[in-house]
Amino acid sequence: MTVAREIGARLVSDVPALELRGVGKCFRLYRDINRSLKEKVVNWRKRGYELFWALQDVDLTVYKGETISVIGPNGSGKSTMLRLMTGIMKPNRGSIATHGTIAALLDLGAGFHPDLTGRENIYLNASILGIRKKDLEPIFQDIIDFSDLGPFIDNQVKNYSAGMYVRLGFSIAINVNPDILLVDEVLAVGDESFQAKCLDRISRLQESGKTIVLVTHNADLAEAVSDRVLWLERGRVKMLGDPQEVVDAYHEAMSTRPEGTEFGNRDIVIESVQLLDGEGRPSEVFRTGEPLVLRLRYTARKPVEDPVFGFGFYDRLGLMVFGTNTRLREVDIPRVEGSGVVEFVIPSLSMLDGRYYVSVAAHTRDGQVNYHWLDKKYCFDVTSPGRDSGYLTMECEIRVSSGG
Amino acid sequence: MKEYLRKLFFYRELLLNLTVKEVKVKYKNSFIGFLWSMVNPVMMLAVYYVAFGIIFKLRALGMTRYEFYLLSGILPWNFFSLSLMQSVSSVVNNADLVKKVYFPREVLPLSYIGAASFHFLLQELVLVVFLLIFRLSLSPWIFAMPLLLLLQLVFTAGLSLYLSALNVFFRDIQHFTEIALLAWFWITPVVYPISFIQESFPAWAERIYMLNPMAHIVLLWQRITYNSPANGPQAAYFSVEGFVYAVVLSVFLLISGYYLFCRLEGRFAEFI
Ligand SMILES: Nc1ncnc2c1ncn2[C@@H]1O[C@H](COP(=O)(O)OP(=O)(O)O)[C@@H](O)[C@H]1O
Ligand SMILES: [Mg+2]
Repeated sequence: MTVAREIGARLVSDVPALELRGVGKCFRLYRDINRSLKEKVVNWRKRGYELFWALQDVDLTVYKGETISVIGPNGSGKSTMLRLMTGIMKPNRGSIATHGTIAALLDLGAGFHPDLTGRENIYLNASILGIRKKDLEPIFQDIIDFSDLGPFIDNQVKNYSAGMYVRLGFSIAINVNPDILLVDEVLAVGDESFQAKCLDRISRLQESGKTIVLVTHNADLAEAVSDRVLWLERGRVKMLGDPQEVVDAYHEAMSTRPEGTEFGNRDIVIESVQLLDGEGRPSEVFRTGEPLVLRLRYTARKPVEDPVFGFGFYDRLGLMVFGTNTRLREVDIPRVEGSGVVEFVIPSLSMLDGRYYVSVAAHTRDGQVNYHWLDKKYCFDVTSPGRDSGYLTMECEIRVSSGG
Repeated sequence: MKEYLRKLFFYRELLLNLTVKEVKVKYKNSFIGFLWSMVNPVMMLAVYYVAFGIIFKLRALGMTRYEFYLLSGILPWNFFSLSLMQSVSSVVNNADLVKKVYFPREVLPLSYIGAASFHFLLQELVLVVFLLIFRLSLSPWIFAMPLLLLLQLVFTAGLSLYLSALNVFFRDIQHFTEIALLAWFWITPVVYPISFIQESFPAWAERIYMLNPMAHIVLLWQRITYNSPANGPQAAYFSVEGFVYAVVLSVFLLISGYYLFCRLEGRFAEFI
């Protein structure tokens, strides 16, 4: 028997689509990424890893037809929760029950084969999602149309940009008509018009009674589209319920955050972080258009191969304004040992007025293991000459002419 | 276990697609495409003909057509070795898929074996055509080919499931496999006839030698494609116990390998 319950504006059934009971997920953080048989034999007595609980005691029932958004700071376990829901990872504690077919769009891309064309990848991806060829034929054109890839659909996927990747992945995930759609942060990529299209499609899926779990950094988006919001903090459920209440509390907590969090296995330790102005003096206030140098000193207790150093600027709401790292900028660091300095030199700040939080990190190339991550531990203020409004400044030449 | 099998069956189309993908990708940027698979044995035949047939005079061993003997054993061996090498690292090499989508992970190693089977069948076809062209008599046993292929598939799949699952946790396994295959090749009667072992070593050494299931499988391939006594007595070697042993061992490997794989696959995503 299905008794309709009213949540927000929509009717949601009380039939569960996803049930998480006391779910816990534990990772092994290896002191050495180099896991070889030899080392295992040599150090068989020593436990070469520490346990890290990325999720603990998570209880959640997502009802059929409901949209739940998951918010929380970096590293709070949002992506891990989604991975557990899809079955990609298995929980160490508790149980997960799913009712219905699931399509998921995790991080970037949906697992494409770089050497195949977009078209061939659609076939492959659909069969990975368990879609039969005959069920794919009628929606094939829809997938191509929605992705907006045009002639690029016959190009090899390895030549795609990140945006194209996501567009194709999203297009497949929503067009295969799953009962449950899991989406992780993908709306952050792609241009405005594509985001608008995605949101439009999400609301249509909502109307047709699909269950949606949306992970997002954007708490305002979460508030706008969902029936309930789940706030994760360090792997635990901090709050679950009415979108407005949760998002307000989240904003509150984010803006009055006393100090950031730190995590990582500390093979590389970021000893100090300095924000310097154009003259090389430490500063906490910068002006738009002026230089900023982010200097970090690290110490590696032992040799570490191929590390990546990076940083990110976040606004009060925890939304990343800008971030980059040595991998993205193709600065290869083959190996570090002992102490050293990494400087990120920004000749001209683009952000307008406001307080910005800084995260810095050292991690492996694939980002799977963090050596040290200082999450929004530092902040600085930006003042701007008041010529522009919004988040950023950019070059803009104004031409006025009259007549025609 | 039964549930795992049901899931695998549900994803059979994925297995097929991944296999087709593998075949396609291999020849993606080559002009004559999968014809390469067929050119390969022809070239081998020509090279061996010159190298062994003429220079080393192996005909002295009573093998009139050494190059065909060699080819009849080396094609299945290459099939085995290629399947194993590719499937061992299959899970690790598809980290992107494993981390982003759920599907039964065993389709990864199996799809590489599937793609290798495709090339192998083309090559066997070439071998048979050349046997006919050179008027070497074929035996009716040639029709047992599907059964023998099945046996080899079961053996290869069983071993691949073990190795590909363990390779996620110990990456050395893929390097070890490479080296092990090199040694394994020489303890399998591919280049030399089995009579060489029987004549030059004591009986106990021969018994140990015969523990190698690939020896039996390769002997069977040689027998069904190259059987006529006119082609030398070695070609007609067949041992029933050896066949039964290979079958039992292969089935055991497949079942236990699949069990192990299913036990470990839940932890793949976080390790790679
Ligand atoms: N495969 C892994 N091995 C070890 N630690 C991991 C792995 N995946 C995630 N983690 C850790 O688990 C925590 C939660 O990660 P994640 O779920 O990605 O957070 P979020 O998506 O909320 O930013 C992080 O501290 C991350 O470093
Ligand atoms: Mg995440």
